[in-house]
Amino acid sequence: MLTIKGLHASIDGKEILKGIDLTVKAGEIHAIMGPNGSGKSTLSSVLAGRETFEVTAGEVEYNGVNLLELDAEERARMGLFLGFQYPVEIPGVSNVNFMKTAINEKRKFKNLPPLSAAEFLKLMREKMAVVEMDSSFSSRGVNVGFSGGEKKRNEIFQMAMLEPTLAILDETDSGLDIDALRIVASGVNKLKRADNAFIVITHYQRLLDYIVPDIVHVLYDGRIIRTAGKELALEVEERGYDWLIKA
Amino acid sequence: METQYRYTPEIPEVFKCRVPLPGTSQAFLLNGVLTEEYRDPAGVVVLSNGQTGFKIEVPAGNTSPDSTQIITVRDNKDTRALAFSNNISLGANSLSSFLICTHTLTLDEFVTESEITITANEGANCHIVVMQNEHNFSNHKITFNLIQKRDSFVRINMVTLHGAKIENLFDVKLAEPGALCELNGIYLADGKQQITTTINMNHLVPHCQSRQLFKGILDNEARASFSGKIVVSKDAQKTEAYQSNHNLLLSRKAKVYAQPQLEIYADDVKCSHGATSGRLDENALFYMRSRGIGAAEAKLLQQIAFVYDVLEKINNEQLRNRLQEMVESRLRGEFSHCANCSMNCC
Repeated sequence: MLTIKGLHASIDGKEILKGIDLTVKAGEIHAIMGPNGSGKSTLSSVLAGRETFEVTAGEVEYNGVNLLELDAEERARMGLFLGFQYPVEIPGVSNVNFMKTAINEKRKFKNLPPLSAAEFLKLMREKMAVVEMDSSFSSRGVNVGFSGGEKKRNEIFQMAMLEPTLAILDETDSGLDIDALRIVASGVNKLKRADNAFIVITHYQRLLDYIVPDIVHVLYDGRIIRTAGKELALEVEERGYDWLIKA
Repeated sequence: METQYRYTPEIPEVFKCRVPLPGTSQAFLLNGVLTEEYRDPAGVVVLSNGQTGFKIEVPAGNTSPDSTQIITVRDNKDTRALAFSNNISLGANSLSSFLICTHTLTLDEFVTESEITITANEGANCHIVVMQNEHNFSNHKITFNLIQKRDSFVRINMVTLHGAKIENLFDVKLAEPGALCELNGIYLADGKQQITTTINMNHLVPHCQSRQLFKGILDNEARASFSGKIVVSKDAQKTEAYQSNHNLLLSRKAKVYAQPQLEIYADDVKCSHGATSGRLDENALFYMRSRGIGAAEAKLLQQIAFVYDVLEKINNEQLRNRLQEMVESRLRGEFSHCANCSMNCC
């Protein structure tokens, strides 16, 4: 589904990603761990198409297309989703209207007619239940006045609505209490299918108790320095990153 | 509540106003002349103020929630420069609301100067929405002279959508304790349009409050200036006065001049002012695009979000929703490039 080869990226002339190689297949959950400043968020931003980063070398193939040639919105319409570490507040644009616009843009891209109001509301209700979200959230401005946990839950809700093929969750667990974490994780688990994949970026092993990864990568200084099974996360939790960095 | 629609044959048929809202009565001021005097069942009267202009009297203790819409239009039957004065007198402890619309129906180079003097007597409570939608050859200057007596509340919400050169001046005198004045506005300009807002907020006595919130979105080579002065007199202790002005510049050639000023001669007051100008937030745009929303739509959503808190100050929900739609279509460019933009606008 996703093949990254020798990816280099920089911002303001400073190189952050220094040669990333990564392959993600349908049905897999990958976890990317690493200390602060290792390039985890940069990787997710580059994949989602944030223009502030410049890709200086390497290639990214996503379902047979060159991902790096596409705009952020085209990537999204083709089934890529980025769950933000810091979701943005958009006052004046209700969650309903925001999602309706997003879904219909995606449907237009796929040559499908827009959803009727009834179909849309049904979908909305269904997906809100996945993240145990109160229906009052739908009429509120996107993320406006939401607590940290509510914002993250809203990210998972949006993901559920958009049904991505590849979802990248950037530190979705940061700032979550244990209940919110459980809801977020169970949302991901409910959405997991044989034909989609997840990349879960996290600082801590804690999230991986709930979302069990197939493969764990450790990112350090812009490179993946170790790839192993889920036991790697436990080892990192126990021993920190130093032993990997020094190895 | 029944819709009151008054037949006014003098108004060209091409002008169709989807307003009135339920419970709203309309009065037309054509080239400065009131087409028909009007008295609503609750006792609000709209009269000619001499040859030109209008004079509105809200009786003391009026409790009717109905509102009055004053539609001032200019057309080619009189293309001279016009200046006229209007008066609104708000009786003691009265409730009232007004929608004042300004339009132009033909593409003449109109010059209009009008003055609206509002006297809010003790305990009066008044909401005024001013919607300005004129074509690209129209110069219009409105001066609001507002005098507020004890415990009165006046809120004016400006929605400036279109016009060559629009100037809005406010001279407010908070003359007796307990008066509260709120001035809010959004201004949208593109092309070579110019919008000027000048405010003199005078706190003459203790225990009054004023709040100002103005936001503008400027594209192309549009210019806006906001010059807001708060003056707190020597004895006006316990004054609360706030002002903010924020501007979104969509092009490198758009310019805004913001001049917030505070003159405080009392020593026990709470006052603040803030002015900003900025561009669209890249982070928010990326967030929306990462959900599949195209760049143009994402920019539009952000502009709507930017002015939202000002529109939110309009307390009539129906009117607010309608103006929000107009703002949206204005930002989409749906009538900015249309010469006859002011027709069928609302």
